[in-house]
Amino acid sequence: MIAAPRLRRVRLNEQDWRNLRTALPFIAPWIIGFLAFTVYPIVYSLYLSFTHYSGFGDATAAGLANYQHMAKDPLFWQSLNNTLYYTALAVPIGVVVAIALALMMNQNVREVAIYRAAFYLPSIIPLFALTFIFIVLLNPGFGFVDYVLGLFKIPAVNWLGDARWTRLSVVLLAQLGAGGPALIFLAGLRAVPSELYESAVLDGAGPLRRFYKITLPLISPVILFDLIYGTILGIQIFTPAFVLAGGTSGGGAYTAGPENSLLFYVFYLYKNAFQYSDMGYASAMAWVLFVISVVLALAIMRSSRYWVHYEAN
Amino acid sequence: MTLLPGRALKASLISLVVVVCACGGGGQTAAPLPGCNAGTSQVLFWTSHTPPDTTSMQHMVDAFNKQSTTSCVKMVAVPGSETDIAKLTTAVRGGTGPDVYELDRFTVAERAAAGVLEDLTPFGAASESSNYLDFAWKEALFKGKPYALPFDTDARALFYNKDLLQAAGVDASALDISKGAPTIDMIRTMANKLNKKDASGKYTTIGFVPWLSQGWHYTWGFAYGGSFFNASACKVTPDDPKIVQAFKDMFYDWSGALGVNAVQTFVSTYAPTTPALPTEQDAFLTGHIGFVVTGPWVLSWFPQYQPNLHYGITYIPVPHQGDTPATWAGGWSVVIPKGAKNSKGGYEFMKYFAGEPGQRVYTKETQHMPTWKTLLTDNSLYQGDLGLFVKLLPTAHSRPALPVGSLFWDQLSTAQDAATRQSQDPATALKAVAATTNDKLSQYCPLAA
Repeated sequence: MIAAPRLRRVRLNEQDWRNLRTALPFIAPWIIGFLAFTVYPIVYSLYLSFTHYSGFGDATAAGLANYQHMAKDPLFWQSLNNTLYYTALAVPIGVVVAIALALMMNQNVREVAIYRAAFYLPSIIPLFALTFIFIVLLNPGFGFVDYVLGLFKIPAVNWLGDARWTRLSVVLLAQLGAGGPALIFLAGLRAVPSELYESAVLDGAGPLRRFYKITLPLISPVILFDLIYGTILGIQIFTPAFVLAGGTSGGGAYTAGPENSLLFYVFYLYKNAFQYSDMGYASAMAWVLFVISVVLALAIMRSSRYWVHYEAN
Repeated sequence: MTLLPGRALKASLISLVVVVCACGGGGQTAAPLPGCNAGTSQVLFWTSHTPPDTTSMQHMVDAFNKQSTTSCVKMVAVPGSETDIAKLTTAVRGGTGPDVYELDRFTVAERAAAGVLEDLTPFGAASESSNYLDFAWKEALFKGKPYALPFDTDARALFYNKDLLQAAGVDASALDISKGAPTIDMIRTMANKLNKKDASGKYTTIGFVPWLSQGWHYTWGFAYGGSFFNASACKVTPDDPKIVQAFKDMFYDWSGALGVNAVQTFVSTYAPTTPALPTEQDAFLTGHIGFVVTGPWVLSWFPQYQPNLHYGITYIPVPHQGDTPATWAGGWSVVIPKGAKNSKGGYEFMKYFAGEPGQRVYTKETQHMPTWKTLLTDNSLYQGDLGLFVKLLPTAHSRPALPVGSLFWDQLSTAQDAATRQSQDPATALKAVAATTNDKLSQYCPLAA
């Protein structure tokens, strides 16, 4: 096992300070924008989470009421459960699919550019459009997926109408966007020194052994990045749920999928903010989500010391 | 290279100016629109409706612009729905909201309570009350003050496919509306004769799925004589025994009789709700269902998509012979959001749009019904079966106008979904609805003026 590189403290000399003073005015617009549009809303939402606030008028102090309500709100727990279920499945599966795609994109064949474009293509289709395509493919009566299952005598599945399958359908949908991470893995694969493979071949290592002993360890920092990035994006899943379950008809909304199985955390947060005009509760939910994100990211970082290998050391 | 402080300052100022310029430019322009009179001030009107409704609305806007010497309306279709006003909320907070917004009327109290809407009292809106149907006007109030002018309305009834019934050997004459409301048992017996399955055991036709289209919680709750809100106690009452019974009969037991999974597969195939199929593939139009509870807007679908369909309309079925039939009416309204730049012009347009001239055009062109009382007696406006719905209006219920109306709707929908899937018994599900909604409602009580 190889340890992560140790970080050293940087000491600025007189020239560095002068350069910094010169540079600061140039990056001031970004700093001001960051303070105004990122830091201020974050701090303000923390304040709002302790108030009752509709988005208009004055916020009234609510103490811990929003956080207490969360504890007894069944839809909060259901949305959290749906989201963690999705993240726990979609992220690891996404890593495997992206690595598989990257390996295929990395083959030394003449048409590789065409394959790369083909594998990446679904990633550039807007998720909104992709979800609609998915709906047609998954129709239990005349959808392509159930038709193929039928060829193998597998009973048709009501993918989007049965609460047992809806979240899994969204996990599958997420894999159509694996082209993006696959490009990052491809860059990782290209950075693996070829002499390592040559030595391994001379030593009689087969393709599988080379993959597990050379490729995987050397791209493990990329896997770490993808896991953290995917987890943070995963717990913020919104668009497929909004398209699949945001429907209304002649007087009001339906549930967020069968038995609210597509009521993901951010979708429920959105409903509280913009349908129920409860910005205080939505802000409290946002902060809980932030804490969950930090805890998950730290847990992955902590675990990384046991499985991530840094070539530099 | 080191820049002098003065040059650095200039550089940062230039950068800031660029950023500020890039962020600006979101304000409304007062450029005159085609069809407007000279010297008029612009009124920005937002609607979340889509064609063909917006086509008719544009006709109304054009007619208003032609006759107004003070205001010029620009209509913009924006994303949104009955309960989702994310676009409006963010725009109003950003100071770029419209002057007039079309809002589902049952959410007026909720949006007024949230502070999104202007009180229309200073414009003299209270004097308009006698022009509108009573229930519609009440929906436009919050704590006794008007926050909206009512626009269109609707009602719900039972549609049946005469061809399907005839093919199954069912005599449809008993359903003639002149014979009064059919009972639920009668509809069940007829509907069961229409059920058909394919070789794989999947339903291809189902006589009646009570929760499709407008077969909502409110529909059956009212049909069973239930009450959803106790005004004096300031509490919602979804656990009213009559509503519980409605959920049990029309959702829980009906679904069980058809087969929970089988009926869900049928719905996902022929009548998915989110998102819905295009109108031309509607399950009633394509003959996959024999009965459906829906509203008058479908009357315009028949000549366009299924001109040869033989259909009939009757009352929503009642639990027992001789019960008074029930329906409920919804509809939209127009409001002035907070921060409107031209609220005076906006109100002038609202009076036209939601007044006699606007509602006359809309009724004639879209087969929606008006809330403007005098138009209800103008029979020239109601072609074909629309007149039947007009007769239903005087006795129609309306949803309680609550500051938590959207939440209550979503909670009821959750309980309805649980009942149709038999994942929770109706009494437990509706008790949970009451607890969650009343918890939120309590912060607005009392609701009386």
